[in-house]
Amino acid sequence: MIQGIGASKGYGVGTIVRIEETDLSFEDKKITDVDAEVARFRKAVEDFTEKTMDMAAKMREQVGEKEAEILEGHVIMVSDPAMADEVTNQIKDGTCAERALWNVCDMFIQIFSMAEDELTNQRVTDVQDMRNRLLKILLGKEEVDISQVPKGTILAARDLTPSMTVGLHKENVVGILTEVGGKTSHSAILARALEIPAVLSVPDIMQTVKDGQEAALDGDLGVVILDPSEEEKAEYHAKRDQYLKEKEALRALVGKPTITADGKQVELVCNIGKPQDSDMVLERDGEGVGLFRTEFLFMDRTNTPSEEEQFQAYKQVAETMQGKPVIIRTLDVGGDKEIPYLNLEKEENPFLGYRAIRVCLRQKDLYRAQLRALLRASAYGDIRIMVPMVTCLDELRQVKEILGELMKELDQEQIAYNKEIKVGIMVETPAASLMADLLAKEADFFSIGTNDLTQYTMVVDRGNAQVAYLYSAYNPAVLRSIAHVIACGNKAGIPVGMCGEAAADEKLIPLLLAYGLDEFSVSATSVLATRNTIAKWTIEEAKALAKEVEGLGTREEVEKLLEQRKK
Amino acid sequence: MVTEKFTVKNEQGLHMRPAGVLSKTAAKYPCEVKLNVGDKQINAKSIMMIIGGCIKCGMEVEVVCNGEQETECLAELKELFLSGFGE
Repeated sequence: MIQGIGASKGYGVGTIVRIEETDLSFEDKKITDVDAEVARFRKAVEDFTEKTMDMAAKMREQVGEKEAEILEGHVIMVSDPAMADEVTNQIKDGTCAERALWNVCDMFIQIFSMAEDELTNQRVTDVQDMRNRLLKILLGKEEVDISQVPKGTILAARDLTPSMTVGLHKENVVGILTEVGGKTSHSAILARALEIPAVLSVPDIMQTVKDGQEAALDGDLGVVILDPSEEEKAEYHAKRDQYLKEKEALRALVGKPTITADGKQVELVCNIGKPQDSDMVLERDGEGVGLFRTEFLFMDRTNTPSEEEQFQAYKQVAETMQGKPVIIRTLDVGGDKEIPYLNLEKEENPFLGYRAIRVCLRQKDLYRAQLRALLRASAYGDIRIMVPMVTCLDELRQVKEILGELMKELDQEQIAYNKEIKVGIMVETPAASLMADLLAKEADFFSIGTNDLTQYTMVVDRGNAQVAYLYSAYNPAVLRSIAHVIACGNKAGIPVGMCGEAAADEKLIPLLLAYGLDEFSVSATSVLATRNTIAKWTIEEAKALAKEVEGLGTREEVEKLLEQRKK
Repeated sequence: MVTEKFTVKNEQGLHMRPAGVLSKTAAKYPCEVKLNVGDKQINAKSIMMIIGGCIKCGMEVEVVCNGEQETECLAELKELFLSGFGE
């Protein structure tokens, strides 16, 4: 058994086909006819451009937009004036085109790999791929063709490049093994887009495997078995069938409402961290955004984002979601999230200190700009404002007061906004939970943040290994708090959601249904699995389970029972 | 010579796509176009140089256009920076 990096989920059993790298060695010829050599290089660039644009068009059709853009990026790189000039200069000094190209690409590879930025480091692969294909053209060598591999093939290569995968018949390839690459490399992105299981960075794979050798792989755990036994083959075949069946079942849920087995509909929305994530929400069939964290707008920069900049970001999400609800949480700074230019003092106990709404209500200019941007963006979709870390009722009242003032301003300036905009709170402190009945009378909605609620209820720092065992939403104290908040919200007739990790936990979902949770906010990748779990339970069954849990006094007992009962 | 300073809005900085748009646009004009970022000066017509410059979100970039059609060039680049290169 060999361990690599699991980069594309799924299981495969098949026969190895090795993709040999083309020999790209060349002779250093002294050039005398400079013009002819420059022309030879230009012709190669032209050929390269034409071939690559062709490949990109195929890629767009067969795989997807992003993958096609990778190839188009190579064309932009090759037509870079700085690169062309440098190659031409070297040829004029008598260097042959191959060597000149090699030198110039090497210079860029050096620059890119030395950068302290992962994204720039990753461009090294692009320069290499571009260089190698350009060299092949200069040397008159054929591209590797993997379009003809037989059914049941596991491809083994040093690296899988976008240009190689063009023309690949995905029904014939059951797995991909490479010697380099990680979860975010081009090869991983391609394998996932093609839905082919892949294990990358398998040590010395090209030295180890032979053509025609049998292998089995697990693209989730990153495991490769060479020459598997009959039992192992049967096991991987069974896993593969099961995996494909589940995937198919989830696919059948796309576009369906989220309903329990007895027909109660709940809302299933997503947590996002940046405006671009909203595309993913639609792609994965999320019904809206249950938590848009706005910290990203404020981090990794040297000054506060302007109202206009924030407005553009919020508007983008609202428009992308096409009228579906978008709950935007106002700035949650402090705790473990630092924003240097706000000059917050270092604290002994940041989680118990100057954080989130406490900062915002004091730094009023900062908060007013954010709230104004949110109000303006509310003209473009169903934006709702959520206040984080509330512990007292007057915090909510103060926010509403500021909103009232801003609305008057906007009225005077005749700027459009949603006059009925909903303002809710994040329930993530024991204080808010205990006050939920009165908060529910003034908040338009609740969203339970289970991560912080667990931390504050159990008085546990989840980063501290000595006490981390206490950090679990299965603790009866946390469950009681959640049940109480939901009951208060239900009673006051306001919607109650949950945006912590617990909302996607298949073991907890029946309890949340029993308590009366209205909205589940999960990561986009968990939407279909969550919809699937919800569909398995009737409210009656869920309530019976909740009744059993009520009598349990420890986390272990709760977790054990939920594990036994999960469907 | 005309210059103006902008803050990079693109969340992943001037990576492949925005760098491509920037270099293509700069290359349309006959004038020289440079980017001053920190103590680096980068040829804005070269996507490779822009990528190698590692220009991240929130950084300040001074665009310097010098030569024929410098004003038009700066105006078009300004629009790109302000719109986050259409991202």
